[in-house]
Amino acid sequence: MKIDVIEDENAAAVGNALIKVMSLFFIGIMIIAFTANPVSVGTNEGQRAPDIEGKYYNGSGWTEFDFSSYFNTSWQEGDVSGQWVVIEFMDTDCPYCQQTADEYGQFANTFSVNNPDWNGPHVNFLASATELDIQGHETDRAEIEKFRSDYNHNFPYIDDIDQDNMKEWGIPGTPNYFLIQPDGIIAWSSSEHQDEKVNDAIVRLVPRESA
Amino acid sequence: MMQSLDWFLGRVLDLTSNLLVGAYLLPVLIGFLIVTPWGESFVSSLTDRFPSLKTARGRLLSGLQLISLAGFAVSTQTLWISSKISEGGSFCSSTSTFSCDDLLGNSKLNVDPVLGLSWGLIGMATFALLLFIVLVLKQEHNHPLSERFVSMGLLTTGIGLLVIGLLVSYEIQEEKICLYCTTAHIANIAAFVGFFRLKKLQEDNSEWNK
Repeated sequence: MKIDVIEDENAAAVGNALIKVMSLFFIGIMIIAFTANPVSVGTNEGQRAPDIEGKYYNGSGWTEFDFSSYFNTSWQEGDVSGQWVVIEFMDTDCPYCQQTADEYGQFANTFSVNNPDWNGPHVNFLASATELDIQGHETDRAEIEKFRSDYNHNFPYIDDIDQDNMKEWGIPGTPNYFLIQPDGIIAWSSSEHQDEKVNDAIVRLVPRESA
Repeated sequence: MMQSLDWFLGRVLDLTSNLLVGAYLLPVLIGFLIVTPWGESFVSSLTDRFPSLKTARGRLLSGLQLISLAGFAVSTQTLWISSKISEGGSFCSSTSTFSCDDLLGNSKLNVDPVLGLSWGLIGMATFALLLFIVLVLKQEHNHPLSERFVSMGLLTTGIGLLVIGLLVSYEIQEEKICLYCTTAHIANIAAFVGFFRLKKLQEDNSEWNK
């Protein structure tokens, strides 16, 4: 009988400590749950776009690219003043990237505040140029500059020859497009909408004055 | 004028986040002092008010309780900061070396490389386990599992030292220091010292049962 009492005391010590610690843990988690609304980082629609790192070329020289400078985290859905971002993951030697390059340049001009026919917010176009692991796809910065110039593109080209950004974004092949909201959340990705072109996605998703 | 206001608000935010670190660091340092061999002289004036501090076991467990609680609280804060940054907010962003946002907001570095769990959550679980051990030993120091509990505490904080090594390597790589993370690291080191001394004390039966 005495042994039972000792066992009960031991069990009570563990039980009491467990209740106190679990309560504390639960309170901690509840505080976080009620005061924060975390958004995961990833490349699916609704996730926060991962960072893009490297040097970029804007027609004059190669300088450090700051992806976060394109976003305003306090942007609210429906606000027509925020600037959107379209990023294309491409390879200058990829035939399909070459075929769509003219069209991509036209989209950049169409969805710009400089176009009086476009009544929506400015859409910043970007290209992240990589080197796919395919024979004959060797590239360098001079080739990226030439590609940009050949297609009369006036938007930044980011050097991703080392494939760092491509791997970070989990890009399976090129070209691959993403439409990103002004708060940095991915609104549309071409891999999730293979039947829809990026210009159609812009028209469908970007809020406009008269819409 | 607006620039001056921005600068002033930035300074106030810096000061607030640094003061908050102090609020976590202070109990960790006090707990650390209590678990060191000089703890007896440090708490000598408090023994009348807190009789448990009269014995070496009582001091070690009280110090460890303080460290575990503060470690748990600062780990909860780091998880909260990571969550707020993922929303798009900022908490302690700075261009100086002391910028926890650059580390806690880095989606590659703020999770463990095996399971992808947030380091803040791992810290919470670790310090909760340490607190559980301390509370059991405070209530029943001769619990049948007491030796195992002390060894578990020593092992957990020992593994924590390896994790600290990895996280410090991230800080060196990013050339940034996260003060909240550093406070949690100090808490782990302090807890390791506390459990090491508790293990030694447990081996001396007469001292343990005082």
